[in-house]
Amino acid sequence: MKMFKPFIIASSALLGSTIISSAQATPAPAPAPAPAPAAQTLAPAISTEDQVKASIYKSIVKIEVATQTADYKTPWNSGRFAGGTGTGFLIGKNRFLTNAHVVSNNKRVFITMHGSARKHKARVLHIAHDCDLAILEIDDFTPFEGLKHLEIGRIPQLESEVRVIGYPVGGDRISVTRGVVSRIDFNTYAHSRADQHLVVQIDAAINPGNSGGPVLQNGKVVGVAFQGLTSADNTGYMIPTPVVNRFLKDIEDGQYDHYMSLGISEFPMFNPAMRKVYNLSEDDPGVLVARVIAETPAAKALKEGDLLTAIDGYDVDSSGSVMIEGARVDMNEIVERKFAGDKVELSFARDGEKQTATVELTHFTAAQLQTVQYGKRPRYTIQGGLVFQPLTLNLFIAQRLDSPRIRRLIARYVSENIFKEREDIVILTSVLNDPVNEKLSGFSGNAVESINGIKIKNLQQAHELLNPKELPEFFVIRLDGVSRPLILPGKNINAINQRIQQTYGIGSPSFLTK
Amino acid sequence: MKTISIIALICSFLTQFALAQNELASPPILRVTSTLQGYNIAQPWEKSAPYNRRGLGIVVGKNQILTTAEMVADATFIQLETTDGEKSMTAVTVAIDYEANLALLAAKSGEDTAFITDMQPIKIHDHAKLNDKVTIFQVEDNGMPLITTGVIRGADVISSFVDGHFFLTFEIKASMQSASNSFTIPVLKDGKLLGLLTSYDSKDQLVDCIAPEIVNAFLKDALDGDYNGFPSLGVDTASTNDEAFRAWLKLSDELGGIYINKVLRNSAAQRAGIKVADVLLKVGDHAITRRGYYTSEHYGQLYWSHLISGSNTIGQMITLTLLRDGKKLKQEVKLARKEEGIIPSHTYAKAPRYLIKGGIIFQELTLSYMKLFGDKWRSRAPIGFLDALNNPQDYEKGRKRLVFLSRTIPTDATLGYESIRTSIITKVNGKEIADIPALIKAFETPGIDGIHTIELDDNINKIYLDAKLSDKVDATFLQQGLPSLSREKE
Repeated sequence: MKMFKPFIIASSALLGSTIISSAQATPAPAPAPAPAPAAQTLAPAISTEDQVKASIYKSIVKIEVATQTADYKTPWNSGRFAGGTGTGFLIGKNRFLTNAHVVSNNKRVFITMHGSARKHKARVLHIAHDCDLAILEIDDFTPFEGLKHLEIGRIPQLESEVRVIGYPVGGDRISVTRGVVSRIDFNTYAHSRADQHLVVQIDAAINPGNSGGPVLQNGKVVGVAFQGLTSADNTGYMIPTPVVNRFLKDIEDGQYDHYMSLGISEFPMFNPAMRKVYNLSEDDPGVLVARVIAETPAAKALKEGDLLTAIDGYDVDSSGSVMIEGARVDMNEIVERKFAGDKVELSFARDGEKQTATVELTHFTAAQLQTVQYGKRPRYTIQGGLVFQPLTLNLFIAQRLDSPRIRRLIARYVSENIFKEREDIVILTSVLNDPVNEKLSGFSGNAVESINGIKIKNLQQAHELLNPKELPEFFVIRLDGVSRPLILPGKNINAINQRIQQTYGIGSPSFLTK
Repeated sequence: MKTISIIALICSFLTQFALAQNELASPPILRVTSTLQGYNIAQPWEKSAPYNRRGLGIVVGKNQILTTAEMVADATFIQLETTDGEKSMTAVTVAIDYEANLALLAAKSGEDTAFITDMQPIKIHDHAKLNDKVTIFQVEDNGMPLITTGVIRGADVISSFVDGHFFLTFEIKASMQSASNSFTIPVLKDGKLLGLLTSYDSKDQLVDCIAPEIVNAFLKDALDGDYNGFPSLGVDTASTNDEAFRAWLKLSDELGGIYINKVLRNSAAQRAGIKVADVLLKVGDHAITRRGYYTSEHYGQLYWSHLISGSNTIGQMITLTLLRDGKKLKQEVKLARKEEGIIPSHTYAKAPRYLIKGGIIFQELTLSYMKLFGDKWRSRAPIGFLDALNNPQDYEKGRKRLVFLSRTIPTDATLGYESIRTSIITKVNGKEIADIPALIKAFETPGIDGIHTIELDDNINKIYLDAKLSDKVDATFLQQGLPSLSREKE
């Protein structure tokens, strides 16, 4: 049997999305019929504890997913078809909890009960890529009626023992491993590559296929197994219950509203000269507001250079931490625990004057440039063989964009409010070679600044400028940081486009729907 | 090993016999040994460890020895020695051009120069032709010449020692072996000097050799006692071989021409009023092709820049023919030396300027600093630096150099700033910072509260330093052996 290495992303690894090959191809051996017990007295007594364990197994399901993953290098193509398995568990009537990455980009999802061969067609009801959790439901819940709904518990103690149950690679049936809680920390969630939340590290063997499975202690769920580390052995990570509970509460109203963000970046207030400028004595609280991002909750109250002293009455110390329930945590934790529409009270000092403001929290969408997108068809438009795509993290990775100008745009997109003017950063990603553009291939990988003198704000606008009702003599395309303009002739461009579409097998010259 | 060197010896004898008719019995070659020591770019207050380089020089006039700049750049000591090792003396650099990779040496005053003056200076060719046969001179440990013959395969305008400065260079096909003095090997033809070898590619067996046109121009400039260097137009160009682009530029088919992409600040081109989007059609009487070449007398197609830097001197007037908005115009240009810009391409013979304030190290950005980020520095160096290098026009306002905070040594004065590094400085105490001297001056007047305000292009855009506390911290650096807190003069 082939063993699967974890699917590697950054330094962490996702455990669910292994491609099924040999595991699926080899039919599982039919269970041998259990021999009839010779005598009642010889049969081992089944304790209630074992019965409890066995009843839990039925509530832990195998999830089989067929996926279609967009290829950002050839956005006009259908993408890559693949599949994978993961684990999920029943937490309520027709509510199965699993990882978002198990069911991302899915075309079809099946759920199988422990000890049964029947595949139940499932649907993703809610998916939260930022905390890697999803809820599935199935068409016909009847076979699962009466099964135990797993109860969500608390954060386990360090060094306490936990069990990981799931359907990892190496066999078809349910697998149980044991481990010890070895660390509780904030860490990156590899699925989105950008979000950091609380993570619990355990030393149980967690393998591809375990993803989305419950981590249990005293019969209660203390976490959801979700990622590993490729550079270290025996390190598994689980999503702890505060993150799970926050997700479940968020979707109570029927939709997922994401994590809220305040919209500032802070700078520690340690330096004596800095403290003197802000007239602070040694014990005074407060962290410096280094940047305020436009169109965020913070922008309604704060300015760069303000001293943020308290959030919701919790004193913010000079490093930007607050004390909650006896533990020192990052002040953003207060916002992390809140939901869309919740309010937060900010106490701050501006020019030495104390002020207080209450702002309503919202989700910040521009930050999505910095997170991996799932389940979306890539947008693009092609004119004269020049392929234009909006910049996303997916595109950045797929095209290995390394122009310093683009890396600088990404780094400053949010912090310098570039997103206000450029909803999309439109990139000339590739040149489909044709006599009309034969000298232009060296220009791919740059951002489009203007077309025919008009600054480019988004892909839709670029598309309209490239496809006007009346064709201009020339299309003059200027790229960021490139002096020489790219010129396409307007004459015969439609015929040229048809030729290029045919040569390169492109069904549609554009896809613009967000 | 021994057999091989004997065979080599015999071969060289044979070759020499074969060439005896045409070659001088012994060209006036000297061994050059230099001790080189540059500054430690990461810690600009100190020099790096010294190292030796061994190569050759050739006598081109009375007490005039030609070698490459690479041999003697940042030299602390230069020794000249006869090939047999019998006589030696100390030399000094009279003129050096890092960009063209040439240097002229002379005996240090007081040295006995008799053995050099006894040597018959070698004559230098005016030019060569493609397919000319040449001889490359090396010297074995025992003083015997090691001669390789080669053929000039091509001529190109490329850079040698310093990136971004392009000069006429021959590409010679020759199969060489390494000898004890592998730097700067003279290349001769018919007993006259053709140029100096600057690099050898053993895989393709190709030699790069500085052309005699460049050597002669360098010597002419150097011998008048005041070295000016090679002229440059100061533009960046793009080819016009793209049909749609040509149509947009209104360039008719019979015209060649290259597109002016960039006009450098304070350059000859800028002073003459050349603009971005002009098309350069002719330099003097030479028409420029769509890809930037002209037909040269001796070498076939050559890149246009040789018409400027390889064929003229600074201050000379040349006539350019341009196409602007579809109309032809002639433009007189007074040639000037290439400006180094806000990020110098090299810093040889210059001490890097810096300032340490309370533990914060400020420096001026150079290409050498960027190269500290490794072979892949073009993608690994900080994005802000790369952007400034690629788009200097966005950073030139108010600046002569790009002053940046290179790193922060943890001290009482820099508490909380430890993570700040490689940030471009915009202002200090409200004043714009043109270079390190301006920075030093700006730090002389802290705010009335005794606080320095430093504005930078980073996630945090303003940091503060307590003037008294940083002076106290700086005093401890001096006590601990730092030679100086700043260097104002390069």
